[in-house]
Amino acid sequence: MINEEKIVLMTKLAAYEKGEGKQNMAVGKYFMGDYISLHILRTVLSGTFAFLLAVGIYLLYYLEDLMANLYSLDFAAMARNVVMYYIIFLVAYGLVTYIFFTLRFFKAKKGIKRYYQNLKKLNSMYHQQS
Amino acid sequence: MRNLLEIRDQVIKIYNKTEFIVVPVLKFMLAFLMLSIVSGKMGYMYQLDNLGLVLILSLMCSFLPNGFIVFFAAVLSMAHIYALSLEVAIVTLAIYMILFLVFFRFCSGHSLVLIFTVILAAMKIPFIVPIVVGLVSTPAAMFAVICGLIGYQMLNTVVTNAMAIHTMGDEAAMAKIRLVVDSLVKNKELLVMIIAFSFTIVVVYLVRRLAIDYAWTIAMAAGAIANLVLLLIGDLMYDTNMSVGGAILGLLLALAVGKVFEFFCFSIDYSRIENVQFEDDEYYYYVKAIPKMTVAAPEKKVKRINMQTQGDAGRPKNLDKNPARERSVVVERVGEQRRKRTTNERIAGGKSVTVGKREISEIEEFFDNLDEE
Repeated sequence: MINEEKIVLMTKLAAYEKGEGKQNMAVGKYFMGDYISLHILRTVLSGTFAFLLAVGIYLLYYLEDLMANLYSLDFAAMARNVVMYYIIFLVAYGLVTYIFFTLRFFKAKKGIKRYYQNLKKLNSMYHQQS
Repeated sequence: MRNLLEIRDQVIKIYNKTEFIVVPVLKFMLAFLMLSIVSGKMGYMYQLDNLGLVLILSLMCSFLPNGFIVFFAAVLSMAHIYALSLEVAIVTLAIYMILFLVFFRFCSGHSLVLIFTVILAAMKIPFIVPIVVGLVSTPAAMFAVICGLIGYQMLNTVVTNAMAIHTMGDEAAMAKIRLVVDSLVKNKELLVMIIAFSFTIVVVYLVRRLAIDYAWTIAMAAGAIANLVLLLIGDLMYDTNMSVGGAILGLLLALAVGKVFEFFCFSIDYSRIENVQFEDDEYYYYVKAIPKMTVAAPEKKVKRINMQTQGDAGRPKNLDKNPARERSVVVERVGEQRRKRTTNERIAGGKSVTVGKREISEIEEFFDNLDEE
């Protein structure tokens, strides 16, 4: 005979596995430290690339001025400024990444916990039946 | 209200039944709108400026993930800008990549938000975006809104300055680049909008999650006020020449759209709140349960009792109180509640009858009397 409660539970589990669960399971494979470190690393890479693009646009923007004053420019000071902006940008971007992915990690863990609770419940239903 | 709820239920029912066709059609329409805006506003590369291409791309988008609408729109705009000016195309590509690298990784699942931001900004009503996003999404979607606003601003700058860019020769390459970069970096209106919209999304999201009555309505109002105040402060600080009347109208429209979303996503009946308190071994629970506003579909089915057509069927009111008569079953469906009621065969007289709630109570009363007799 059909056990309605069991079917509801199984549907819930299947829907979770197919939708939100897919993303959460990927998060659940990591320890918190590993997960956040991985994203911080990605942030450093993508942030560096984005910063280089921004510097490229800046250079194009001021190309005429730079060419006109090429011999009088203090390249060391310019490099220091660029590095300083780079560090500020990466720290700010890293902080946003840290907060964002920490929240996402906890949310995913909560979802997975609920999923496993439902699995246990389903398992106990099978035991009861047998 | 009851009619509206019935219509909503019907809409949801139809959507659930025809989801496999409705979703691709809606995606097609959305993609077509987005690509038409890009192609229609620009259209500098005549090879790409034709409806057939937009239709084909839209058709492809209807079966692909939403991110492809953004991708095709970006590629199409890049191609048109390339036809206008190589330098501007290079800067546009760099800005697209910066947006993708910095912002889009936080909001990869919110492509729809980005698409709607661009479409609504093109329609001059971007104020709807933060309110609705705050209501139905999460604060992460603000990154998609930022990408949308910057992307639209860039395209708008190219479109409004297309003639100037076209007439500038190759020798004015730097001027073209400055034109585009200035439209983003020195654009205080854009900055004010980004700050105001981001803040509004957070405010709406936080308020609508509060455990207070009418949280969605209060969230909408708070978001609209916060948005307006921030836009006005920005206007005062940076002299952005923002149209206050336009902003107010836009926010009123946003409230109306927000109410529509509330009706479809969070329609609950505050008049029937139940506050429950109970406990287990570890906790005390204070639960506030608010019933959803639902209405039964107005279909009433009455099962034919028999094929005889004798006598006058009449209404259940006119019952012939003869207990000797055989009883048969009328199955009545009022909304979701299926009830079985027993009545006399002559009552139905072999005809289909519609039985209302009042008549049912009369029938019940009738049979109670019979039993007593």
